[in-house]
Formats: sequence, structure tokens, C-alpha cells
Amino acid sequence: MSPDFEKQIHELLHCRWHAVASWTWDAQDETCGICRMPFDGCCPDCKLPGDDCPLIWGACNHSFHLHCILKWVNSQTSQAHCPMCRREWQFKE
Amino acid sequence: MEVLGSSEYNLETLSDDAIREITESYDGFFTTVESLIAGAGDSSVEKEFVSHVSTLCKYGLDSLVRDHFLTSLEQAFQKTGAALSFWDHLDDYCGKNHTDYGEEIHQVLCKALEEISREKQYHDKCTSMVVHALKSFKEERLNSDAERVELLFSRFQSMLSSTLMTTLPQHFPEILHWYFKEKLEELSAIMDEDDTQELESDGMDLDESGEMDADEGYSRHDELVKNIGKVVRDLRSIGFTSLAENAYASAIFLLLKAKVHDLAGDEYRTSVLGPIKEWIQAVPLQFLNALLSYLGDSISYGTTSSCLTSPLACCPSPSFFKVVTPSQGTVRWKLRLEYFAYETLQDLRIANLFEIIVDYPESSPAIEDLNQCLEYTRQHSKLVESFISSLKYRLLTAGASTNDILHQYVSTIKALRAIDPAGVFLEAVAEPIRDYLRGRKDTIKCIITMLTDRSGRNANGSPGDSLLEELMRDEETQENVGFDDDFHTDDKQAWINASRWEPDPVEADPLKGSLSQRKVNILGLLVDIIGSKEQLVNEYRVMLAEKLLNKTDYDIDTEIRTGELLKIHFGEASMQRCEIMLNDLIDSKRVNTNIKKASQTDIELGESELSVDILTSTILSTNFWPPIHDEPLELPAPIDKLLSDYANRYHEIKTPRKLLWKKNLGSVKLELQFEDRSVQFTVSPTHAAIIMQFQEKKSWTSIDLAATIGIPIDLLNRRVNFWISKGVLRESNANVFTLVESITDSAKNESEELLASDEESERSIAYVEDQLRKETTIYKNFIMAMLTNGSMAVDGIHNRLKMFYVADPAYDKSLQQLQSFLSRLVAEEKLELRDGMYLLKK
Repeated sequence: MSPDFEKQIHELLHCRWHAVASWTWDAQDETCGICRMPFDGCCPDCKLPGDDCPLIWGACNHSFHLHCILKWVNSQTSQAHCPMCRREWQFKE
Repeated sequence: MEVLGSSEYNLETLSDDAIREITESYDGFFTTVESLIAGAGDSSVEKEFVSHVSTLCKYGLDSLVRDHFLTSLEQAFQKTGAALSFWDHLDDYCGKNHTDYGEEIHQVLCKALEEISREKQYHDKCTSMVVHALKSFKEERLNSDAERVELLFSRFQSMLSSTLMTTLPQHFPEILHWYFKEKLEELSAIMDEDDTQELESDGMDLDESGEMDADEGYSRHDELVKNIGKVVRDLRSIGFTSLAENAYASAIFLLLKAKVHDLAGDEYRTSVLGPIKEWIQAVPLQFLNALLSYLGDSISYGTTSSCLTSPLACCPSPSFFKVVTPSQGTVRWKLRLEYFAYETLQDLRIANLFEIIVDYPESSPAIEDLNQCLEYTRQHSKLVESFISSLKYRLLTAGASTNDILHQYVSTIKALRAIDPAGVFLEAVAEPIRDYLRGRKDTIKCIITMLTDRSGRNANGSPGDSLLEELMRDEETQENVGFDDDFHTDDKQAWINASRWEPDPVEADPLKGSLSQRKVNILGLLVDIIGSKEQLVNEYRVMLAEKLLNKTDYDIDTEIRTGELLKIHFGEASMQRCEIMLNDLIDSKRVNTNIKKASQTDIELGESELSVDILTSTILSTNFWPPIHDEPLELPAPIDKLLSDYANRYHEIKTPRKLLWKKNLGSVKLELQFEDRSVQFTVSPTHAAIIMQFQEKKSWTSIDLAATIGIPIDLLNRRVNFWISKGVLRESNANVFTLVESITDSAKNESEELLASDEESERSIAYVEDQLRKETTIYKNFIMAMLTNGSMAVDGIHNRLKMFYVADPAYDKSLQQLQSFLSRLVAEEKLELRDGMYLLKK
């Protein structure tokens, strides 16, 4: 490597990189089992995806939109069950 | 036969004396008539003549008297050659052009006319004598006979004019026309002089000389009018009333037309209607006033000279009433002239409407003028026709850029809104433009750019405003007016509204709803070109995505503002996705700073590691962005490490969420240091990855390089070309690229800008068209299945798709889109088009 070349590498390292990424929920499923909307979107009641419409995992490891499962849990008179596996619904700690 | 039959004497009862008396007076009558007409008669001859006439009349030979008198008059007229000599005067000008007539024609014409009128006056006198004689004899006779006597005048008159008419040379009307034209021009010049003098004297104190000049001007003016009046009167007296009138009317109109053209010309920035009206008032009307009142005087002149009726009264003509009541005549003339002026100006403006609209806001006075003219002439259809044809000829051609067409479209809407608030004519004019624009591919893009681009759209208006903001302002003012109306709708207001109602113009299309429902809405008309607002919003989203992806500084104020404006127009729901995209940018900025804060504390940079400071990122909610080209790309290790660190931090901060890099997107600013200089580049990550590989190895084969970077070879070759064109790399052997260490060729330097912009055209977002293709492909199988049952027309397919594709994704394509999709299928030989019906290709 010539000295000039060394210099060039040095300069190259001083670049500014603007990258593009997409976020996704780290869930097993693609879509919410309740509203059938994609997790990366939002539940039907929400306008903005992401922090405003988070996911929640149950003890059974099934995940739903927080709003969707809350609605489901609140609509159950007695103990609520997971809509997917019918196990008793517990929020994952 | 009537001669004796009507008399109370009978041939049989006539005595010899009576017969002798008759023959004597008959001979006497003949000779006296001859001498009278020859002009040799004195009072004794007249007396003799009267006595002969009365003798003849006594025997009931009055009609004989009349007939003979007229015949001899006619003979005399022809014999003395009055008619011929009249034309002889003008014969010299027969072969000449009107431009060669020169000054003397005026005198010649006047002289000739004078001569012939003198002749005629004398004959009139003779006639009156006969009438007199006949009358005095028949005072106690029946009215019908008296009327017949009166008829003598008109018979004489018609005899005279027919004699002249039959010998009328062809160039005479031309001479007349030219005469009046010259005189009027002279007159208008005098008036102009007066005007300037008045202006001058207004400026100074009224000094003596100025006043005198003005007086002189007026007297010259009077003189001139008198001369013209005399000519007209003489012409009338020889029965050329309509000829004269035609001549001076056409001269006036010609002058008016020239004046309108002169005033209006190519000047659109000032209103010319006012000056034209003033001019009409000042020059032609004043002239006509003077002329008509002069001719009106001649009535009294005629009646006083002898008991003749005026020469005007005895030649009934269209102008008859005008002369008798000059005020009414001038009013008619005024209306005629004004209408003509309106029409001329309107024609002029309509012919130039295209140019006027091109510089619309400046040319609004011209539009205002045109509006007034049209209100008067009601020739809107002429406007529409002529404007459409000039549009087709000048605007809707392949050479015009879509932007220009759109700007002209908007200007047209604005300008025609002034003329026709109901938008009826606009509808007709806009149709061809719309149709044409629909056929262009970049229309939607241009519309959106026009709507949202704030940078220097118009030079004179407020510079930082996009068309959209301008439209918003317009609409606000319009709506305010509307609200006012709604608030005060009490009975009185309702009555006022009702009395203000105007019917739609006749040309209105009844299908389009009535005036109240139809408000000219520029944005609406623009959306109309595209077809639906969904399409427009969709296209805007793609453009927005493109813009946002290229942002590295998170500065999206403009976009937010535009988004808000569009939201107002198109509703919140349709702009939802755009809002999420903008939100992503805001979130990205926040996350970026958070991650940097977190990493600064706990990381010690290794030797080959890069600081996280050089990395910024845009984090997307993919579901709400348009489809994005995702190409695999292997980044150099240090960068890759940086990215995965970044992603890990993100995962730490936003726990259940993680980042997926789209490595080929984004932008890299880097500086290359050469022996003799350093150059900065802003390139895509792929380009950066390529050039970075040359840090380790000075030359690469394309296959190796492609494998290292993880992109297909053809793509690599395309990307490498960028660096070759910059003179950074060179293709030393076939498919072997080598780093160029020093650039001596300075010419490469120049082309930098150009190529960088070339590069920009490679978009990271799928074109809407591609997207559309992808979407319509969903329907392909459905359509194919549909057609197994038999052939269908495009409408049928469209309807059936609409009927059955209600579920997500609902069928939302327009008929045109379907048509183009179908024709693509035909091109792919999947379908066949026969007589407008689509069927499966066997």
C-alpha cells in the first residue's frame, strides 16, 4: 500500500452514513390473531403504529395488539382465555 | 286615353274655337317648356307658360302636361349632358388606385356635385312652377288629383336618380368611400390635436395662444363638417342617399376599427374599453352629430327657398327618421358604433386570448375588457371555438412540456373564472386540455410538484407559496362569502338572493347541475385530470416517500405543512399513510439521538471501529410506505458492525421491536483523497460499498467484486460505471477495475454535477406504474377465468370486477387503467381483441 493510499482509506473512514431501516415487532406471528391486522401495522382503533399501538405477550407466548387483547379480556365476564389456545389469559411478566 | 276621358269636355262637343285654342296653347306650351328648361325664360315666358298650362288643364289635358314636361326635362337632362358631365369629372380617377387619388379629388367631387345640384335645383324650380300652375287651377278639384300632382316631384326625382344610376361608373362608390375616409381622418387628427392642446393648456395656465388654437381647431372642425355635410346633402339631393350613407358609415367603421386596433394592439396590461368609448364620443359621434344637425338644417333651408319639400323628405331612405330627429339618430349611431367597437375589440382579444392568458395576472385588464364586450355581444361560443383551436395548435402539442400545459390550464381557469363565474365555457375549453393531459405519463407528477413545490413558482407573487397555499387562500375568501350568506338568511336576504338569481347561460350542460352547485374549483379541476383523488394521494405518497428517503437531516417542515394542506382537501383518512410516514421521520430523529446518547457512555472505540456518530438512520413503518426496492448488499465489515450495533441498541431501547436494515438505501457522504486533490461524493450505499472494497485491493475483477458485495454482476457493472465516469476507477482489462490514483484529466471534474443528477434518476421507490402493474396482475387470473365463459367488452369486465372484488384489496381501477391492462394482456398474447370484445387466445 502506498502512502497515498493509506491517506485515502483514512479519508474514507470519515464518511457520514445515512442508513435506512424498517422496524418490526419481534413476534412469531405476522398478524394479530384478534383483528387480523399485521403486527407492524396497528389495530383498527389506532392511527399510528409502533409505540402507540404496542404488542403484548401472554403467558402462553401468544401475542396480540395490546388494545385488541384488552378489549377481549374486558369483554369476558369470568376469567378470560387466550383467543388462540384457550388457556387462561395471563400477561407475560 | 285618360286625357279626354276624364275631362268634362267631350270630343264631339268641342267647338272649332276650342280646338283651335287647344292647339294654340299646346304649341305655346311646347315652346315655353323648352325655353324654360333651357333656362332662357324670364317672367313673361313664365306667365305665358302658366296661362298655357291652365288652358290645357281647362280641357282636361293636365296629365298630358305632366308627361310632356317630364319627358322634356329628361331629354334636357340627357341632352345637356348634366349626368355625363358629372361622371366626366370623375372619369380621370377611374383607372387609379385609391392611394393615387390625391387632394384634388375632394375639390373635383365637390365641384361636380355642386354643378349637378345647381342643375337639379333649377329643374326643381321648373317642376315647382308646373305644380304650382296645376295646383292653382285645380284647387277645387278632387284630392286624388292633387296627390297626383305631388307625385310629379317623386317621378322627377326617380327619373333623375335613375338616369344617374344607369350611368354610374363602377369606381364611384370607391371614390366616395375614400373621400369620407380622408375627411374623417382629417377630422380625427384635428380632434387629437385639440386633445393634446387641451392637455397642454391644462398643464399651464390657459394662455391666449392656446385658446386661439383651440378656437381655430373648432372652426376648422366646423368647416370640415360643413363641407362634408354639403357633399352628403348634394348626394342626397341627386338620390344617392343610401350610397352616401354606406360610404360614410363604412368610413367611420373603418376608422373605428383602426382606432381599436391601434389602442388595443398587443397591450394587455391596461384597459382600453374606456379610451375607445371616449374616442367614439369625441370623434365619430361628434362628427355625426354635427353632420346630422347640419342636414337637419337643410330641411328648413329647402322649405324656405321654394315650397318644395326637402330633398331629404322626397327620397325615403333608411336614414329618413334619423335626419328628422337628430337626437334619436345619434343615439342609434352611438349604439351601432359601440356595438361595433365591442365586437372589434372582442374579436381582437379572442384572437389573442392565448397570449393574454399566458401572462394572466398581468393581463387581467384585457380579460376584464373582454368580459364587458362579451356581456354586450354574447358571443361566448366564438371565444370557446377560437380558444380551443388555438389551444390545440399551440399548447396541446408534443413540444409543450406538461408543466407549461398545466400552468396554462390553471391560468385559463383563473382567467375564464372572471368572464364566466359559472364555469360553463370553462368546461368546454378545459375539456380538450384535460383529455390531452390524461394522455401524458408525467401529468400526475407534474400536478403534484406544482401543488406542493414552493420554490419560486411565480416570480411576482409571494415567493414561498405553493399553488396549494394559494388555492387555500382563494377558497377561504370564497367560503367566507358563502358563510356570510348562510348566516343572514332571513327573509330579506332570501329575497335579495332570489332577485339576484340568474339563469344559466344557454350553453350550459344541464347534466352538470345548476349555477349554485357548480363552483369553479381549481384543485377540483386538477384532480379531475387525474381521475380520482385517491390516485393523486397515492402518487403524492410515492413522491413523498422518495423525498423522505433522501433526507439525511430529518428536516420535514415543508412536507408536514403540505401534508396538512392536503389533509384539508382530501380528508384525513386518505392522508393517513402519509402522516405515518412523516411520523416515522420524527421518530427516527428521536431514536437516533437516544441511541447516540446511550452509546457515547459505554463504548471504547477499537482501532478499526467507526464512531456511531457518523451513522444516522431513517426507520420506516414498512407497511405504510410504498413498496421499496430491497436489494441484498454486503457492506464492508466496519460499517456492517456499526449497523448491527445500532440495531442492537435500538432493540435495547424499544425492546420487543427490532430493526431490519435496508442496506441498499440511504446515502453516503464520503471524501476521497487523491494525490493531487480531494473530492466529495454523495452516493448510494452500493456505490460506497464498491469503492470501499478498493481500500484493500487496488484492482478487482467484476465477478469477485460482485460476489464480495453480494449483488448481481450486471448491477455491479452499472454501479461501477459511476466511479469510472468520475475518473476514480478505470477498467484496465476486460472486467477488471483498477483504482486511479491521480487524476490529471481535469475535464472529468466538469461533468460531476451532470452525472450526479443522472444518478438521482435511479429511484429507490417503485414507480406507481410498476405498482399498478403489480396490482392489476392480481386481476389477471380472474379476468382469464371470466373470459372462459365467452367474450366480453371492457365495460363488462370492469363492472364484473367491481361487483366481485369488494373485499380487500377492492377493485379501484378506472376503466382506462383496465383498458391499458387488457391491451397489455393482448400484447402478451393471452387475450385477443375482436370487434371491441376481449376473448381468450386459443
